[in-house]
Amino acid sequence: MSRITLEKVCKSFGALGVLHDIDLDIRDGEFVVFVGPSGCGKSTLLRQIAGLDRPTSGEIHIDGKLVNTVPAADRGLAMVFQSYALYPHMSVRQNLAFGLENARMPRAEIDKRIAEAARMLEIGDYLERRPGQLSGGQRQRVAIGRAIVRNPTAFLLDEPLSNLDAELRISMRAELSALHDRLRTTMIYVTHDQIEAMTLASRIVVLRKGRVEQVGTPLDLYNRPANRFVAGFIGAPSMNFVKGTVVEAGDTATSVSLMGLSVAVPRPAAGVAPGQAVSVGLRPQHISLAGDGGDGVPVEVTLVEALGSETVIHGRTGGGERLQAVLAGQHALRAGESVRLAFAPADLHLFDDAGLRLA
Amino acid sequence: MSNRHEGQEARPARRSDGLLLIPVKAVMQVIDVPLRAWQRLAGLTGMASFFLLPNMAVFAIFVLVPFVINFVYSVTGGTEIFLDQRFYVGAAQYRDIFDCRSYLDPSTCVEDGFWVSTRNTALFVVVQVALMILVALVTALVLNREIAGRSFWRAVFFFPVLLSPVVVGLIWRWILQRQGLLNLVLYELFGFEPYSWLTDRNAAFAAAVGVTIWARVGFFALILLAGLQAIPKELYEAAEMDGTRRTRVFFRITLPLLMPNLLVVLVLGLIRSVQVFDEAYVLTGGGPGTSTMYLTQYIYEKGFASDLRDPGLAAAASILMGAVLVVLTLVQMAASRRNEKKGER
Repeated sequence: MSRITLEKVCKSFGALGVLHDIDLDIRDGEFVVFVGPSGCGKSTLLRQIAGLDRPTSGEIHIDGKLVNTVPAADRGLAMVFQSYALYPHMSVRQNLAFGLENARMPRAEIDKRIAEAARMLEIGDYLERRPGQLSGGQRQRVAIGRAIVRNPTAFLLDEPLSNLDAELRISMRAELSALHDRLRTTMIYVTHDQIEAMTLASRIVVLRKGRVEQVGTPLDLYNRPANRFVAGFIGAPSMNFVKGTVVEAGDTATSVSLMGLSVAVPRPAAGVAPGQAVSVGLRPQHISLAGDGGDGVPVEVTLVEALGSETVIHGRTGGGERLQAVLAGQHALRAGESVRLAFAPADLHLFDDAGLRLA
Repeated sequence: MSNRHEGQEARPARRSDGLLLIPVKAVMQVIDVPLRAWQRLAGLTGMASFFLLPNMAVFAIFVLVPFVINFVYSVTGGTEIFLDQRFYVGAAQYRDIFDCRSYLDPSTCVEDGFWVSTRNTALFVVVQVALMILVALVTALVLNREIAGRSFWRAVFFFPVLLSPVVVGLIWRWILQRQGLLNLVLYELFGFEPYSWLTDRNAAFAAAVGVTIWARVGFFALILLAGLQAIPKELYEAAEMDGTRRTRVFFRITLPLLMPNLLVVLVLGLIRSVQVFDEAYVLTGGGPGTSTMYLTQYIYEKGFASDLRDPGLAAAASILMGAVLVVLTLVQMAASRRNEKKGER
């Protein structure tokens, strides 16, 4: 069990700053996911925690102890690598035993731990095989097994599912989640896949260009994104953004005109004034077809993706703004048709010029 | 759907391209007629043989035919070089070579020169190959680290490989001879009296070993360096997370994963070492006495350079040496196949 705290952690490679003033408090037993686009610094941040890299400045504490200069092996952490990093010339058993042998653990204890991990991960049948003789999913289990046998205080997982095919990734995701529930050990998981982040995390840390954009539970991030980046990154398809203008800023509601409509968002927006330009976010899942005679935005359909359980439509408003909508069920729509799309004012998100959330 | 990668743009066709292609197309059209006719007659396999023919002809003229002639020499006797003036002796040359009371004592052999040079070669091969692999491994390990000027140092170590072996021999003879650079430096720095490095048995042997290592180590270090760079750095990071000591990392991770490359280096090193001639001959001429005379030099002198030349005996000796090289080559091929299979797994 372990609590990991980062204070003002920065990392530079020469003149290139990769991490900037990262403050984080990862609580004991949490499943925290670092998510962000490629190159945002999420793996670099994980390596600082692991001890494979040293931060340029700032402090990393594990259970209250400053570990900046503590070697990776002495931090009590175990890491699962994207490429699995299994020793190809050793059998699965030897791979699992290697780290324990380094610690000069008695043979009986090593065998006991391997047997336990093999049982937990269902890898007992191929303990004598080499990694090259295993499938991707089996290798992944062995890599996790190698981490488990060390009985670490926290697991660090660097995009562990990205080399698996889509189907296997989904099943491994569920297994990882179950494993966390069983072990209740702190896990820090790096991914660029926001669906993995949403499904696995107790809390998500969204990173961009080496900075933390928002930390919160998956639904926090989905329902109350702190800025346009998080709003666009979390959720698939991405949130729609259209231009709007504040009409009236009240204590309980903010009226905005957008796409030819005037809408009262039932939340106050601090510091806005009538006439102020805002960016209005609307998730595709929160859009529906307007009923006959009902209010709605006229949209010309440009593309229809029929997925069976839902239909994704891409369209363009009269003002030239692009919209995506995810409609439940099947709809006989075609490109070129005109439809009216409706949404609830409460589902709108307002962002200012700098992309920060207003309401 | 286009196969072109994103961002890759087609090179605009230039007028000059079309003009350049006109003569090529014309020649192709002329060649096409007989080739098509030949393909109809010979079939696809026959065409493959047809295209391989030039290469096979070169191989036959410069390898196969000389090999057969060499074998014919080995079963004929006399000092004459022209075959029509030589007489058939059967396996007599081979019998002479193997006519020994004790193979461990060359002086008891009819052809003592062969056994002296074989013994010298065996000693040279064992010492030179072992030391060379060690030096190549250390060099590769150092060059694999993130040291300042790494590319420069890689070039420095590889440079001697580009030199002609005769040039290598001459350079080191100038350095090691009695009035050479080494003695001059030792005298200037420490006041040492000049020493005859190339006329002392042990020093001459060490010089032959050292110089051939210097000349070849860059090539073998490069093979090992390629192997080191192919080891994923995540394995080392996993070992670091596991708290693995450096020596254990080397012996349990680096060395086993480098084994395929080490095997290639070992076998290639053995093959080259068995054939040692140029550098050692220029450096010591086989001396002092016959202490650095190796098998290739024996064959050369027996066949061409000595007053009592015996081309038949030289040919028989070369065929025996060839047999050793064939065995080593087969070992290398078997090792390569094993590596390929391992790689597939």
